[in-house]
Amino acid sequence: MNENLFTSFTSPTMMGLPIVTLIILFPSMLFPSPGRLINNRLTSIQQWLIQLTSKQMMLIHNHKGQTWTLMLMSLIMFIGSTNLLGLLPHSFTPTTQLSMNLGMAIPLWAGTVAMGLRTKTKASLAHFLPQGTPFPLIPMLVIIESISLLIQPMALAVRLTANITAGHLLIHLIGGATLALINISAITALITFIILTLLTVLEFAVALIQAYVFTLLVSLYLHDNT
Amino acid sequence: MAGPETDAQFHFTGIKKYFNSYTLTGRRNCVLATYGGIALMILYFKLRSKKTPAVKAT
Repeated sequence: MNENLFTSFTSPTMMGLPIVTLIILFPSMLFPSPGRLINNRLTSIQQWLIQLTSKQMMLIHNHKGQTWTLMLMSLIMFIGSTNLLGLLPHSFTPTTQLSMNLGMAIPLWAGTVAMGLRTKTKASLAHFLPQGTPFPLIPMLVIIESISLLIQPMALAVRLTANITAGHLLIHLIGGATLALINISAITALITFIILTLLTVLEFAVALIQAYVFTLLVSLYLHDNT
Repeated sequence: MAGPETDAQFHFTGIKKYFNSYTLTGRRNCVLATYGGIALMILYFKLRSKKTPAVKAT
């Protein structure tokens, strides 16, 4: 039982060869490129969704911030589709791996910080000290603000990893409990199955929300630095 | 958000003109001074530990 619980999080292999790269690239194959002026229904829905999301997310940014639109839209689509595909039984979810989420969070966060330091150095440095701080508290607050800045990419990555991993583990556990209870008590198994169904619905929502939260936070860090 | 146009409303004199928590320049200088102070402290303790031996020679 213990061994079964964590095997879904190990790096997947097929006939001894690692296929994690293929799995990471797979969601992109599900999004058709709009090749015509008027596309088919699926492509039109996809375009409409991307336009809706990009308008809602990028409206707060100035011209410089809006140059990141492609990056942020790709990010939300990638994380959202990867999380949703991970809800299929026996599939591997790349976003359960902290290494991958750190690989997304750190460069994006560092990019926003570097952009801020390059374009408005004075304001970026001044951000480390809130306006109106009493004089004796200044050094302490500068240190605290610096630590909170450095924690940002870690929090981004760990938030996504923990949410998706915890959800998958819960589904695994409750699914196992449902199966075990079928022979013992049918009514309890039914209740557990209803809980499992509700949890699965929740995990669908969490998959999309976590993608949105990740992208929104990167967008906010960008807004602070442009 | 404080900017160059709002910095003009503050009239500080002396050292407060350069180190305060209201103007953009003041805040930036305070931050740089804090980082500089930390760097100097680290440098001081690094150089000091080389001079004092672990065991005194008898």
